[in-house]
Amino acid sequence: MSSLHDPIREGLNRGWKVHGGPHRLVPAHIVCDVAIIGSGAGAGITAELLSRAGLNVVIVEEGPLKSSSDFNQKEAQAYPDLYQESAGRKTEDKAITILQGRCVGGSTTVNWTSSFRTPAKTLAHWQQHFGLADYTAEALAPYFQQAETRLNISPWLAQPNENNDLLQRGAAKLGITAATIARNVKGCWNLGSCGLGCPTNAKQSMLVTTIPAALDLGAILLVETRAEKFELANGKIQSLLCKAVKPNGTFVKSGSGSAKIVAKHYVLSGGAINSAALLLRSQAPDPHARLGIRTFLHPVVMSAAVMDQRIEAWAGAPQTIYTDHFLDTQPIDGPIGFKLEAPPLHPVIFASTVTGYGQQQAALLAQFPHTHVLLALLRDGFHAQAAGGRVKLRSDGSAVLDYPLTDFVMDGARRALLAMMEIQFAAGARQVLPMHEMARPYTTWAEAREAVAQLPMKPLLTKVVSAHVMGGCAMAGTEALGVVRPDGQHWQIENLSIHDGSLFPTSIGANPQLSIYGIVNRLAQGLVKRLTGQSLTLA
Amino acid sequence: MHAMQRRTLLKLGIVSTAVLVVAGGVATLLQPGWQQDKLTPVAREVFSTVARAILEGTLPQDASGQKEALDGLLNRIDHSVTAFPPHVQAELSQLMGILSSNLGRRTLTGLVPAWNVATIPEVQDALQAMRLSRVALRQQTYHALHDLIGVAYFSDASTWPALGYPGPLTI
Repeated sequence: MSSLHDPIREGLNRGWKVHGGPHRLVPAHIVCDVAIIGSGAGAGITAELLSRAGLNVVIVEEGPLKSSSDFNQKEAQAYPDLYQESAGRKTEDKAITILQGRCVGGSTTVNWTSSFRTPAKTLAHWQQHFGLADYTAEALAPYFQQAETRLNISPWLAQPNENNDLLQRGAAKLGITAATIARNVKGCWNLGSCGLGCPTNAKQSMLVTTIPAALDLGAILLVETRAEKFELANGKIQSLLCKAVKPNGTFVKSGSGSAKIVAKHYVLSGGAINSAALLLRSQAPDPHARLGIRTFLHPVVMSAAVMDQRIEAWAGAPQTIYTDHFLDTQPIDGPIGFKLEAPPLHPVIFASTVTGYGQQQAALLAQFPHTHVLLALLRDGFHAQAAGGRVKLRSDGSAVLDYPLTDFVMDGARRALLAMMEIQFAAGARQVLPMHEMARPYTTWAEAREAVAQLPMKPLLTKVVSAHVMGGCAMAGTEALGVVRPDGQHWQIENLSIHDGSLFPTSIGANPQLSIYGIVNRLAQGLVKRLTGQSLTLA
Repeated sequence: MHAMQRRTLLKLGIVSTAVLVVAGGVATLLQPGWQQDKLTPVAREVFSTVARAILEGTLPQDASGQKEALDGLLNRIDHSVTAFPPHVQAELSQLMGILSSNLGRRTLTGLVPAWNVATIPEVQDALQAMRLSRVALRQQTYHALHDLIGVAYFSDASTWPALGYPGPLTI
């Protein structure tokens, strides 16, 4: 347990209005100006701006309120406490494991702090194909700038850890440009535990920035409370029905903790998959069948190298070096491109990622301190054969994503495995194991290249994960192409805005947190103007 | 290929369900593997056997050390499953129920000897066949067992020396 100060517990002691779970009882009826569903990247930015405008805000979060005193840097606690489905959320065919936050702060509480503005090429594609004329890099720049100031986002200037430095060194040997990643941290201790909740409050997540700002201004936060359904009539939301949930998402049987929230306006920021699911459960109008489709994942494939030297990939800031060489050297709507980064490793995530069993797996596990891993984020959504997945509801109303891994996407996965292995050998790898059930450790680049060229790149044989869920409630300039308008308002429901990563009409092609902050910053400022006439900025 | 896999899965589902119903009656088919926040004794036996095959070379070699490690693992699997949402628990319960029956074990894993007499090489051969199977359900079963065992085993600090992992820094 951290011995440092805990701004959340201090806020609770100051009298923050937090209800649900171990906190105050949830009132059965709540009336407010704006109800925000979720407390992650989109919700946090929106909550701060609306609260500063003097609006009465209620934030509804399904996960618990955990903070630095709780963050013990252990996976056994962090995954069940802070992640959707205990970090085991899977696509319908179980071929992709999805890491997504479920706690106050959402995924920003558990992400690895990588911060990129939305690439100009992605925005150009949105302008051309989705009628988003005012989504230019220039028009968005001030909104990104404000988010960067508010969340202390700047390039990581300290020495990268060895896991990241190997990406830089290996790429350089091949003439591939790599660069430094910007991070949203203030006084970072370089522990490497970002994914388990920052124990020092250095990470400028929504948990320690915008949500406390909103609570200090009197916002109400409901935790361990699921936004179950909107009641709709006459083209408007009449109320939001919420139910108390236990830590694993089971409804509290007694019905205690249920709430009906009546607001003038509703902002849906539950994150991709969950935002679409709430609208599906509510039988929201969807005349053009856009809801839930085109949900993107940046499908990730990985390659693990064993080096002579110790890597200790659990230590030091994760993901501080990247290369966009394999995004920038081909057209955005051609064969699928990918971004390379070096993720942190901890025992549970490592053991569940390393393929195989028995003595062979034991030998790989024993090399953990010498293991260097690269990952490739595949840029989905820019080609007809990479149209993402569709959010569906199970019979119990819970959300599931059907995401077919097409041959087009898996061709990119093969090229990504090859690119990563070549960099790893160039960086001095003793052996390299691409994460595929039919691969084995290879000791030379020639051997690896030949083997991977022959592998069947199929789902459930190729290890695929995701930590970036986007789309499903896309914005578009015409009603037929999207769920919401370019200003974030739902095309058919006049008192509903959507402010989260589900807005994106394609994947981003970069870690999405800053795209959500920047774009939602503009949408939320517009909403403040519409609701109150005021002009506010985030910083 | 994808569509073909799905059709095969569907066929297997129907065939194995029919066989199980005929063989053991509906009661056998519906015997859950997860009850009252715990693996049932027979599901525990399945996990124990599969864990010895998956973690061969990682588990302690001596009999008492290995038993202690396996007991700890099984308790942590209980704990891990408790944290999963209801739909995952239901699915896992059903899967473990099927694996616990003779016909289910043979159909899904191809393993002929019962769990309590199967040798480690026999179980590993079955795992390998599932891993590379063209039937999605068999591959999914392999991954469920592999991942749950790996996750639960290494979630405890007592297992970290095998990884050379020192644990988090005290702050």
